[in-house]
Amino acid sequence: MSLQDALALIFLLAGCAFYLAGTVGLLRFPDVFCRLHALTKADNVGLGLVCVGLAILNGQPRVASMLLLIWLVGLLAATVSAHLIARHAHEREAPQDQELPRR
Amino acid sequence: MMDLALPGVALFLLLNLVAGMLRVYRGPTLADRMLAALLFSTTTVAVLLLMAEWMEMAALRHVALLFVMLASILSLAFVGLPSGTDEEES
Amino acid sequence: MMSLLLDGLIVVALVGLAIQAITGQSLFRGIINFIVFGLTMALAWARIGAPDLAMAEAAIGAGLTGALMMVAYRRLVADEDGHVPTPPRQKSRLAIPIAVGSGLLVGVIGLGALLSDNPPGEAGQLVLETLPEYGLGNAITGVLLLFRGLDTLLEIAVLFTALLAARAVAGTGDSSATARTRHPETPLIGALLAVVIPLTILVAVHLLRAGTYETGGAFQAGAVLAAAGVLLVLSGRVSRTPSAGPLVRLGVLAGLSAFILVGLAPLLYGEALLTLPGMWSIYLIETAMMVSIAVTLILLFADAGGLRRERRG
Repeated sequence: MSLQDALALIFLLAGCAFYLAGTVGLLRFPDVFCRLHALTKADNVGLGLVCVGLAILNGQPRVASMLLLIWLVGLLAATVSAHLIARHAHEREAPQDQELPRR
Repeated sequence: MMDLALPGVALFLLLNLVAGMLRVYRGPTLADRMLAALLFSTTTVAVLLLMAEWMEMAALRHVALLFVMLASILSLAFVGLPSGTDEEES
Repeated sequence: MMSLLLDGLIVVALVGLAIQAITGQSLFRGIINFIVFGLTMALAWARIGAPDLAMAEAAIGAGLTGALMMVAYRRLVADEDGHVPTPPRQKSRLAIPIAVGSGLLVGVIGLGALLSDNPPGEAGQLVLETLPEYGLGNAITGVLLLFRGLDTLLEIAVLFTALLAARAVAGTGDSSATARTRHPETPLIGALLAVVIPLTILVAVHLLRAGTYETGGAFQAGAVLAAAGVLLVLSGRVSRTPSAGPLVRLGVLAGLSAFILVGLAPLLYGEALLTLPGMWSIYLIETAMMVSIAVTLILLFADAGGLRRERRG
């Protein structure tokens, strides 16, 4: 396995780890704000790492800039979505920050 | 080796997606269910990009770009909804 | 082996999501399930090598239809004070037998198709061979416009008729209500639009041009433009008027009329109907269709904001 493949694989696996973290956060965090937090941050970093891995694997600069564009627009969309959803949820319920999750 | 790794990563991401559906099931608020749609957007984009690489179909990157541009439509449509913490009736 | 697992998971997910979407636990859950079903369907199209369909499915099935359903949900189901009425639960006893029967039918037909020998695909071969003569590289565009142009013409006519029907229904609704989101003056939304709208227009025009030799075409470009328009409607930058202005009407009619005019023109020269004289006619028709599709879809969406629930009793 060449160095290029190995490096790409590392980035892809790191991306997977972040996606997993995001999903775990979605399922285990106590209220909607924490879940939103986990989801938007972890998933988008995961997407970025996957994009880097694929860019390394592919090697063409044209493809790499396309992947960068996709990630940046994805960041923008996630930012706006998270803000809107959080605002919507905030207007309707108080966050349950008094309770800690039981272990 | 990479022929195995790329579909494998895609498989893992899809499993993540299926696990995320649990949140749609449990709720409790509408916003929680909407989060699933957010999860799906980023996961689907990643899977499309992976497919573009191992199936050597550059058009799929265009699909991923389209997807990510339109991802905010669902959130915008959602936040106009009236409140509803629990819409389970039976 | 790994791709087989992936495909299997996609199939299982599709069936599971479809069942979840219509077994009606709660309406909103069904909507989310439907949206996710659309996304997974786009993945399935990508897997079987149909990027054009994946693009259309992502833009329309997941994006536009999802937003449309949420707006309709807001307007028709949920009350102003946020109370959601209980949906009446009427499960027919025939539901499960019919579902199983349909599944078996599809399975038997599919099995028969898989086991039989492939008949020689003459039409497909002919298309692929004659495509370079016309200077086209994309077989789908060739079939849509050159070889089966009548189908496409009728599809545009159907879209137009659907718009007329929708306007007739929604036109009786609340004309002051719009599909606008809450707090449209949020600065973040302005920033989003400033980046996404120009990008979308660029991508749409590129898709239109690229449709002749790679993935793209009028329909995809129109769907992308429509999504941009829906974004504008949702953020309140474009609002619904009870009667459409002349420019809007021109946009709606452009595709249909261009196609009909260019299609009828060969009759003057003694040629058959719908033989397109050259690449310029293809570009003309595609551009007109893109505009029409986009304007029609945007109007269909904007009208949903004016839906009103019937008050019973």
